[in-house]
Amino acid sequence: MTDVIRTGFRPSRIAIYGVLLLACLVYLIPLIVMLITSFKTPMDIRTGNLLALPTDWTVVGWTKAWSEACTGVQCNGVSGYFWNSFKMTVPAVLISTLLGAFNGYVLSKWKFKGSDLMFGMLLFGCFVPFQVVLLPMAATLGKLGLANTTAGLVLVHVIYGVAFTTLFFRNYYVAIPDALVKAARLDGAGFFTIFFRILLPMSTPIFMVSLIWQFTQIWNDFLFGVVFASGDSQPITVALNNLVNTSTGVKEYNVDMAAAMIAALPTLVVYIVAGKYFIRGLTAGSVKG
Amino acid sequence: MSQLELRDIRKTYTGALDETLKGINIDIASGEFLTLVGPSGCGKSTLMNSIAGLESITGGSIVVNGKDISGMEPKDRDIAMVFQSYALYPTMSVRENIAFGLKIRGMPKEEIRQEVERVADLLQISALLDKKPARLSGGQQQRVAMGRALARRPKIYLFDEPLSNLDAKLRVEMRTEIKKLHQRLRTTIVYVTHDQIEAMTLADRIAVLKDGELQQLGTPKEVYDTPENLFVASFMGSPSMSFIDVEIERAETGLSVTVKGSDGRTLALPVPAYLESWAGKRVVLGIRPEHISQPDDHKADHPMVTSGRFTVEVTEPTGPDVLAVIRLNNKDVQCRLDAEHPVNWGEEADLMFDMRKVVFFDPESEKRIRPQ
Repeated sequence: MTDVIRTGFRPSRIAIYGVLLLACLVYLIPLIVMLITSFKTPMDIRTGNLLALPTDWTVVGWTKAWSEACTGVQCNGVSGYFWNSFKMTVPAVLISTLLGAFNGYVLSKWKFKGSDLMFGMLLFGCFVPFQVVLLPMAATLGKLGLANTTAGLVLVHVIYGVAFTTLFFRNYYVAIPDALVKAARLDGAGFFTIFFRILLPMSTPIFMVSLIWQFTQIWNDFLFGVVFASGDSQPITVALNNLVNTSTGVKEYNVDMAAAMIAALPTLVVYIVAGKYFIRGLTAGSVKG
Repeated sequence: MSQLELRDIRKTYTGALDETLKGINIDIASGEFLTLVGPSGCGKSTLMNSIAGLESITGGSIVVNGKDISGMEPKDRDIAMVFQSYALYPTMSVRENIAFGLKIRGMPKEEIRQEVERVADLLQISALLDKKPARLSGGQQQRVAMGRALARRPKIYLFDEPLSNLDAKLRVEMRTEIKKLHQRLRTTIVYVTHDQIEAMTLADRIAVLKDGELQQLGTPKEVYDTPENLFVASFMGSPSMSFIDVEIERAETGLSVTVKGSDGRTLALPVPAYLESWAGKRVVLGIRPEHISQPDDHKADHPMVTSGRFTVEVTEPTGPDVLAVIRLNNKDVQCRLDAEHPVNWGEEADLMFDMRKVVFFDPESEKRIRPQ
């Protein structure tokens, strides 16, 4: 019996693990370089090897990037812009996700004449390139009095995000049996009661998918940030660009790397915290009641 | 206790060319157990959803206790439904599932608690009240689904193929449970199924549907013994009735038909006198497996009983009896034989035809020829 399932080291096994390890390394090298560079002194960077560990570990790069580095004419670090990004991302993610959930509910469980056509057209929103809407959106924001404000950016991201979140939730709800809605209707529940008491509590996996997706998209967005925000309301992606492009003498790679890490951390944290739901949500078709 | 009338119910789906329901008329007495049976696509689920108010009807009216409810919202109809998929709310415990409808209707907390306990007691699910549906077996989920329906004490209960998702053994157990429950509570129940055995065993009356039309409405015995047409005859009963094309002949002893076995031997079978006007014409003889058996001396003397020798083509032992197939007039005909006196395929056997309960159909209209 035992020799049927061989678990020992065979050449093919070693080859497979070797290739996998190599692939991991290739993916991880940029992150490793960023991390170790951010903890080096400028001297270390100039003289040492790119992949070598710092001779003197220091957090100077991080503190400078957070509160002293120059982004253009101001030299207050990226901290202010970091919070700007939060103020923009959190409401935009929550609003677009809730709207998507509601749209998905209507488009899957309360179909009306033309609802499938409407869903199809909404999907176009996923494929419209950002650049196409820059000018009309700028004009709209101006008319609404939201130009150069965080609220304006939130609005832009909600509008762009709803197409994706609707797609997520609609496809998730389509797989939930209609009998559940019928049973609730016979139990006396109305349109909103069914949504809030029955369907929304079942939506955790897809909620997490939408959350991660939207958070990553909105936090990492550069184009809308650079076009529709200016000065104090700019998000961190724009500030990072300004920081790296502001040259005052010697290039401080440790500060650049630290700033880039600061800009990337929130999306990493969100993925680590909610990641298991992400995988589960992507295979949502198999979710059983 | 509620009485339900379906008056000329019609339904055409938007964009569909054919009517799904073509004028259904059924009166269901208070406390009656009615099963709707038919093949898939016959409209039985549409009819059920229409009664519940989940689908609108395009014609006719649904009347409960003399009051037309056709235009009402499902929640105002006071009808409960048990679904094939159970449709339990997955995020709620069993207790919350049963209480949901009561809560929405604003029943006081204490009354809800009592009602949930009463229902849980009735269905023996008290131990499961705090579990989530996903942790229950199929049979337990089925009980909870019934509990949810019972808790509201609605006027009418609808069951939409509630046992189809259970395995064979559990299905038979739950069938008995449902029957017991109905005998105890005497509630009005409309029960949809495609399983004719379920329909036969549970119902006070059966409504057989096909292509949106009511084929026959009657007690299980009526539907089984005197099917109105070829469709009902072939649908009800397992194994189903065999049909043989025959010609009515006039002999000295009375009317008869002749059947020919696979070896060319013929046998004249006596037929009842009400077929007099069909003499010389072709009819379809419908004969159930239990009407052909091994010779039995007690019956052999009856004028409507006769015997012949035929070659058995196939045998299928079922346990209590053996189903055998013989060829008559080039048609396969099923017989139900005694398991204690086995016959082997390919051998000849003496078979007794009991013609007292056979039925005849007009080959043109496919309707049963009724005794005058």
